[in-house]
Amino acid sequence: MINLRRHRAILLAYLGMLLLLLLTSVVAPGFLSAAHLRSTVVLAAFIGIVALGQTFVIIGGGIDLSVPWVLNAAAVLMTLAAAGQNGPLLYIVPLLLVAGALVGAINGLGVALFGVPPIIMTLAVNVILQGGILVFTGGAPTATAPPAIQFLAVGRIAGFPVILILWIVIAVVATLLLSRSAFGRYLYAVGSSAAVATFSGVPTLATTVAAYTLSGFAAALAGMLLTGYTAQAYLGMGDPYLFTSIAAVAIGGASILGGSGNYIGTIAGALVLTILTGLLPALNLSNGALLVVYGVVILVTVSLGSESIAAFLGSFRRARRGDGAAL
Amino acid sequence: MTDFLKATAVVKRYGGIVALGRADLSARAGEVHALLGENGAGKSTFIQILAGAVRADSGTITLAGEAYRPKNPEAAQAAGVAAVFQELSLIPDLTVAENVWFRHEPLSPLGTVRAATLNAATAELFARYRFPDIRPDREVRRLTLAERQVVEIGKALSRNPRVLILDEATSALPPAETEWLLGLARSVAAAGTLVIYISHRLGEVRAIADRITVFRNGETVAAYETQAVDDETIIADMLGRRMDRLYPPRVATATDRVALGLRGFGAGSKLSGIDLDLKEGEVLGVAGLQGHGQRELFQALFGLGRAEGSVALWGQPRDIRSPRAALSGRDGLALVPEDRRSHGLMLAKSIRENLTLSVVRRFTRFGLTDPTREQALVEEMIRTLRIKADSPEQPAGTLSGGNQQKVIFGKMLLTEARILLLYDPTRGIDVGTKGEIFTLMRRLAAEGYAILFYSSDLAELVHVADRVAVLRNGRLAAVLEGDDNSEHGILRAAMIERAAA
Amino acid sequence: MTMLAADSRERRAMPGLSPSLKATLTDRAPILIPVAMLILLVAIYASLREGVFTLDELNLDTAAALTLVLAATGQTIVLLRGGIDLSIGGTISLGTVLAATQFRDDPAHVALWTVLILVIGALVGVVNGVLITALRLQPFLVTLATWSILSGTALIILPIDGGGLPSFWMAFGSRNWLGLSSAVWLLAVLVLFWLWFRRTRLGIAIRATGSNERSAFLSGVSPLGINVATYALSSLFAALAALYLTTQTGAGSPTIGKDYILPSVAAAVIGGISLFGGRGGLIGTIIGAYILTIIGNLVFVLSISSYWQPIVSGVILLIAVLASSIAERSARRSLT
Repeated sequence: MINLRRHRAILLAYLGMLLLLLLTSVVAPGFLSAAHLRSTVVLAAFIGIVALGQTFVIIGGGIDLSVPWVLNAAAVLMTLAAAGQNGPLLYIVPLLLVAGALVGAINGLGVALFGVPPIIMTLAVNVILQGGILVFTGGAPTATAPPAIQFLAVGRIAGFPVILILWIVIAVVATLLLSRSAFGRYLYAVGSSAAVATFSGVPTLATTVAAYTLSGFAAALAGMLLTGYTAQAYLGMGDPYLFTSIAAVAIGGASILGGSGNYIGTIAGALVLTILTGLLPALNLSNGALLVVYGVVILVTVSLGSESIAAFLGSFRRARRGDGAAL
Repeated sequence: MTDFLKATAVVKRYGGIVALGRADLSARAGEVHALLGENGAGKSTFIQILAGAVRADSGTITLAGEAYRPKNPEAAQAAGVAAVFQELSLIPDLTVAENVWFRHEPLSPLGTVRAATLNAATAELFARYRFPDIRPDREVRRLTLAERQVVEIGKALSRNPRVLILDEATSALPPAETEWLLGLARSVAAAGTLVIYISHRLGEVRAIADRITVFRNGETVAAYETQAVDDETIIADMLGRRMDRLYPPRVATATDRVALGLRGFGAGSKLSGIDLDLKEGEVLGVAGLQGHGQRELFQALFGLGRAEGSVALWGQPRDIRSPRAALSGRDGLALVPEDRRSHGLMLAKSIRENLTLSVVRRFTRFGLTDPTREQALVEEMIRTLRIKADSPEQPAGTLSGGNQQKVIFGKMLLTEARILLLYDPTRGIDVGTKGEIFTLMRRLAAEGYAILFYSSDLAELVHVADRVAVLRNGRLAAVLEGDDNSEHGILRAAMIERAAA
Repeated sequence: MTMLAADSRERRAMPGLSPSLKATLTDRAPILIPVAMLILLVAIYASLREGVFTLDELNLDTAAALTLVLAATGQTIVLLRGGIDLSIGGTISLGTVLAATQFRDDPAHVALWTVLILVIGALVGVVNGVLITALRLQPFLVTLATWSILSGTALIILPIDGGGLPSFWMAFGSRNWLGLSSAVWLLAVLVLFWLWFRRTRLGIAIRATGSNERSAFLSGVSPLGINVATYALSSLFAALAALYLTTQTGAGSPTIGKDYILPSVAAAVIGGISLFGGRGGLIGTIIGAYILTIIGNLVFVLSISSYWQPIVSGVILLIAVLASSIAERSARRSLT
């Protein structure tokens, strides 16, 4: 019972996803075909991988606004450096993953060591990266993604999308990290209360830096994979992922204040967002309608998922009983 | 004379916890009415209800013959009830004058608040009540705690209240200002205001209160005219019939082995030159008036903030710069912090997660936690400490104060540290759990633990500790044992310098 | 370090010392630093270009900065309250779109829709404030969601940039009085408004709530009232920003608002507003907005790639926030 309550938000997210699928099958019968489901999952995987880092950062009580241009920088630099060849990837990919992680570490240090509010720290890093990449490329990157990357993003093994396999591996690792590792415990503790964590001997600085580092790593990984899907890197390709990564985490039941949530929920969040994106054209609805629906979905899930609605209903019940509500 | 303020059968619950079972009070205009009771007796809840910060579940209150049921602090203030809480209600980034007149500022024709007008009004108010010298244009965050307390009193007076509530208003004040406040309370009452005065200091109460109401365990147990009652009766009412069985028999279990050795230990300007040995099997009490270095001693030992001098644990010199370094397993030390809710517990997290936070490595194998082993540790602690909960997954914030404290003890015991720093571990905890905690402390000492124990309640030190180290002005004033370890002896050591000065 | 701050002040002598010079300086650092930055940037700009210290230049720069200033005014009020408002992006987009699609070449009609746009703006803030208070939701998430809803609505009304505005409306944007452009006059009105507003009861209460929410509540501030007022003001200023923006662009844009969300926060933070609430003022924010605008001018004058602009802005933002973090810490330490 208690567990059900704790994971109510996540259950709701999956319930919502199933309802959406059901709705889809009614209004757009072709939608539930294997091909379409596959492409939905592939698209969700990109959101899911970016949101991986965002999940860790938000659980730790922060937020990472530098995701778009870490992603974009990795994508642009990888395609330019590889110039369509598979060979150089052997060193470029690890190098860029480390670079992404380093950017994340800088974010983490700014937040944990210097006390800069996460919003400002990661925002500043984002615009600096944005400018840097724009200056570097002169505003017009043209290189295409190497075949190996394209294979990772859109290829299949025995009919199964490669990226989905990758996502499953990432999901398992992330879930183990959060629920079964010391780091995970520390992260929830830091997000719940940094003071309690310090008093309990938790290495708060290292934990915070690690979360942002992971976020930088995940964004860089997602950026490179995404070039395989779009066949080339382009400027601004990361911008939509700021909103979707945060939205996926929020829909997945994490508190933006930190200390709660998990990656299983974020996966549901990523799927919900992607299904919506696919569903609305089928309903002949515009991009604008999609944004409206996104906003409503966030509001509804966040209010249902948090304790606030329970408190709200509770206060009504109290009010009806005729005794006062606090606050 | 009729009752100006009358409260009947006021009840307040928080979840399953009863803060007020049945509070009654009747007080007249123009008197100083003292509210007495132990920590957790329900006084604070009661005055928060009067002040509109909390709403009662049931019961009736009348003010000047009319039903009084403020739905927020604003409504209470409008009805003429002004409170000075222990928890100050000042805004750090506003000036003294802005704070005093906050929410009822005199307005210019443009609807603005002019700083000059505000400062003048504040100066006039402060002069009328002969306030200590505080500049109205200073920002409150630059003031000392005592100055803030004084500003808070000014803020309450600025509303010309019909009822003025002073909750432990002298706790942060130096002697001269305490005298001033007592005089102020009397003169405000003489002018027709009802002053409700809450203090732990019986002497103060005796000096100014016309009548006394005593709370115990959330209920009103007695009401007296001050002249008609002696101190012993009041204390007996406050404590109930419980005292002596609270403390376990004290068997000396200390060995000669020094667990924690301090030489020239200090922390900044607040604590210096401490030479002290805590022995294996010993409960060493720490006493001192508020703010004389005991907090700094515990924090510095636990690696919070700077420390000077040398520390040896079990004979090994150690340099502890963070709680993480202090919590180094069997040879380390563990702390039960003063502030349970913001330093001790993750309130939204489960009992299990709280208990094992400091010892995740104890059940981690190959980088993964082992839920079975964790569960075993958790269940052992819940059993040993008799933590009352539905399940280990219950959020810690839903437990009663006593059980929350047990979770913190469990978290500390799991670290296996054999030197325990307990900072006021029984504050605000029900009597039953207090007894359990003392029994546990003596049992741990018998097992060879070494315990450093600060309490704001002197009786606890006298009955539980083997010896008591008394701090005065950040220095070790005395170490008392045997017959010297008495409330009288501790107070004398803690205050004597002040009395001589 | 909060645990160290609690009680260690007790043994101080009672009468207050006069604030030391150092304390005054660290107190003022959040405003002195942006002022110094602005002077430095203007000096560099003046060394590269003739005629920087002319009314023309002031008119042009103010016209360029004013939309951001207006957007950042609302953001400043919310940040002082200790919140954040991402929805201003949606409000600005929707405002320009409504103006571009609804304004006709008839002053009365334009006046009607101007009022309507402002009312819609204020209502957006009321919704934000109610959701944040009643459902106890985080401002970041609530305003992220309402931003999405408003942007979507703008896109539905006007899918691509366009629409038209009456010529007299746009002429207003380039009008001059006494040698000063309408933007400068508007800015002057805004400053006057602020000097008045920050001394009103509401202005003080907003700052106080951001400084210490619990104390403000205990002193009689209503949580719902303060949140509704704060976010309504924010959205109202966003709507004003939208209206002014249309006098400059002459069109509606359903996506333009997002360009103002984070810069509005940046301008405020550069100008010394603390994200922890309670500290700073609009003058700092205006300076912050000018700093961001002049960086754009500099990049142009230096005829280097305009892509340097975000880099320089980001670095300045970091410097400003580090400086105020340090000032904040020393302010907290001065309590102990």
